[in-house]
Amino acid sequence: MFVLVVGGGKVGYYLTKELIQSGHEVVLMEKDHGRADQIADEIGSIVIPHDGCEGRYLAQAGANRADIVAAVTGDDEDNLVICQMAKHHFDVPRTIARVNNPKNEELFKHLGVDELISPTRMILGSIEQDIPMHELLHLAGLGESDLELIEAHLEAGSPAIGRSTGELQMPEGCALFAVIRDGVAMPLRADTTLREDDKVIAIGRADCEAMLHEQLIGAASPGA
Amino acid sequence: MSNPEQPPFRRAVIALNGGPADERIVRLAAELARPSRAELVAVHVVEIDWTLPLDADVAGRSDEAQRVLDEAEAVAEQVHYKIEPVLLQARDVAAALVDEASERRADLLLIGLSYKTRFGGDFAIGRTVPYVLKNAPCAVWVVREPIVEEQQ
Repeated sequence: MFVLVVGGGKVGYYLTKELIQSGHEVVLMEKDHGRADQIADEIGSIVIPHDGCEGRYLAQAGANRADIVAAVTGDDEDNLVICQMAKHHFDVPRTIARVNNPKNEELFKHLGVDELISPTRMILGSIEQDIPMHELLHLAGLGESDLELIEAHLEAGSPAIGRSTGELQMPEGCALFAVIRDGVAMPLRADTTLREDDKVIAIGRADCEAMLHEQLIGAASPGA
Repeated sequence: MSNPEQPPFRRAVIALNGGPADERIVRLAAELARPSRAELVAVHVVEIDWTLPLDADVAGRSDEAQRVLDEAEAVAEQVHYKIEPVLLQARDVAAALVDEASERRADLLLIGLSYKTRFGGDFAIGRTVPYVLKNAPCAVWVVREPIVEEQQ
């Protein structure tokens, strides 16, 4: 597989090394000539010392035959431009962008970037898992849809405690489907009465979050 | 080369770039190789840009590449010495030359360098020679072309 990596920072550098070790054909673009020379000295003459935001340099790097373009610079705007050009000008089958600011994720999705990697979001998710924040916990996104897997930990004061699932007003497009009680997962039925310390697992769209929060945690989250 | 009893080299890679320096380095290599009957490998590298896969059939179809090797062989014949012509295609000429010298365990790499200047008059050494000088495991001899009058 021919992979074009744009951005020779830490991420691009290690990504390139790993891809080479896996036997892929890789070319790395890095606009800082000093950095490009440094990488080329170490991993060989597969580095193009030019800016991947410019179409002519993407062409020079072989974007026309790339199977994947991975834009992993530290700049979201650059990553978006690179993926846009790769997708629409060079018909690259798969584009992957690093998104540093989670607020840009929607824009990237909307503009057709195939896959987003958000280190900020990943670290945030990891922190939320380790430190309960009495909020809804986003476990994972589900494929290309807007659906997310969400966990709600019912602590004392939750309006859902003592009520059955059927009594809760769930927003449209959101479903509660499992509960983890005493470390055991079980399916949620309409007559299941929720207890303190239950972990309720839901699937829903991001826009359901405020109502889900109100039903399971209590007052709406500040961010909602 | 420190021991005068030792031949200067046993196997040399001659880097051909199709320029005027090719004839000079083939003659020089043949003269130096003759006493010890050293092996000469004349290598021409066709650089393949990233728009094409590395195994694209480019070098084999290139008349220019064939001409470079034919002319080197003709020069070698004139001085009655045998060279082995090798045509390579690679992403980078310098890296390919270093790899070839390593793989063949050559003890000398000969490379020509034409005299060119940048805008402003500074000497331009290009990127192939510095890479070879820095990375070749064997001895490297660089043969620079003379400066022609109008360049001075």
